[in-house]
Amino acid sequence: MTFFEIFQQTMPMLLKGAVITLKLTVVTLPLAVIFGLISCLLGMTKHFKFISNIYIAIIRGTPILVQVFFIYFGLAQFLGIKMTAYVAGVISLSMNAGAYLSEIFRGGIQAVSIGQTEAARSLGLPYANTMWKVILPQAIRIVIPSVVNQFIITLKDTSIISVIGLMDITMQGKQVISRTYKSFQIWILVGCVYFVICYTLSKISRYIERRLSIGKNRS
Amino acid sequence: MAKIEVKGLIKKFGKLEVLKGINLQVEEGEVVCLIGPSGSGKSTLLRCINCLEYPTEGSITVDGQKLTDKKVNINKAREDIGMVFQQFNLFPHLSVIKNIMLAPVDRKKMTKEEAERKGMELLSRVGLADKRDQYPAQLSGGQQQRVAIARALCMGPDIMLFDEPTSALDPEMVGEVLDVMKELAREGMTMVVVTHEMGFAREVGDRVLFLDGGYIVEEGTPEQIFSNPQNERTKAFLEKVL
Repeated sequence: MTFFEIFQQTMPMLLKGAVITLKLTVVTLPLAVIFGLISCLLGMTKHFKFISNIYIAIIRGTPILVQVFFIYFGLAQFLGIKMTAYVAGVISLSMNAGAYLSEIFRGGIQAVSIGQTEAARSLGLPYANTMWKVILPQAIRIVIPSVVNQFIITLKDTSIISVIGLMDITMQGKQVISRTYKSFQIWILVGCVYFVICYTLSKISRYIERRLSIGKNRS
Repeated sequence: MAKIEVKGLIKKFGKLEVLKGINLQVEEGEVVCLIGPSGSGKSTLLRCINCLEYPTEGSITVDGQKLTDKKVNINKAREDIGMVFQQFNLFPHLSVIKNIMLAPVDRKKMTKEEAERKGMELLSRVGLADKRDQYPAQLSGGQQQRVAIARALCMGPDIMLFDEPTSALDPEMVGEVLDVMKELAREGMTMVVVTHEMGFAREVGDRVLFLDGGYIVEEGTPEQIFSNPQNERTKAFLEKVL
């Protein structure tokens, strides 16, 4: 079999997997942002800070593979429910990315100089309005590169969900290999599919970054 | 009744006592200049007046309203107290005119149109009408500081606090900012100015306060302080800076 023939036979399967990977990612990322924002906001309060701290410590302190197994097998058993691999994937990946995003958001808010808060407050703006109109618009610009980085990491982490049977790119690749034994060529193709998706995403983010940076540059 | 009344003000940062008992009255329309070595507490005193730093002890009364009273709406009170910072602190994500319009519109003091009209008026006054759509990073330091003054004025304050407004500027830009401040003083604005510009203090100040080590060591008219200082520390300081 030539490489081209392998390509021809494998790509349809891998693209099917790509659709699943993208579906998982597209649902996971917004949820992760929501988890991240909630955790970040809790982290800025006096009384609920500990919730955010514990959440981040747990996610950071355990491997993502263990988190996936815990949700899919452990939690499902404990609650006595049956979860699909997709649902377990969404839950574990968004929880995982949420914790890291929470830290990214916190860093972004802290990176805006204290003078900005002082200027806004001295004009009579209450804390919440200062946050919303002065600090967050600047923080968002600061965090975009790190957030996109986390998005790409999470997109690639979806490959882990193949261990619980989700038919994503990685799983499709494995299955084709088990039929054809062309490990070398097919893993290259699997890698290429991921690469194309991630590279496109990072290009798009660069574009957004440039669009948003207007006004920051000296002309 | 004094416009600003500071009584028994003590400010501690942790164990460090920066202000050790300050009493100060500023009358309406008066220009008070605070001078002194760095670390003497002059900026802290200024920042206590609008409660950007909350006093550890003592009281601040502005326009008969006790700002140190927890029941007072400090945000409302700050609308009438403009502040200008050493580092300008313009909002870098907003154009010049949007910087100026933000607070009046947010606090519902004006509609967008009113704020824009007043903002343009103020911009012309500080000589920057042509910069309305530029971003802060596109302006020189002196221009940024003049925009910052216009931003503070747009809320229609009757008191202006200046925290070393020219210290971060190139020497050639100091003049343009001081000119704007002089004009404000002439129009009768009540001003408290922390400054290292002794020429400005002498020319524009009605009263000069010399701070050192958390106390007001000496105060008087510019004439008294600069030509005939009584306190040894004032003398030593002025010898170095004049």
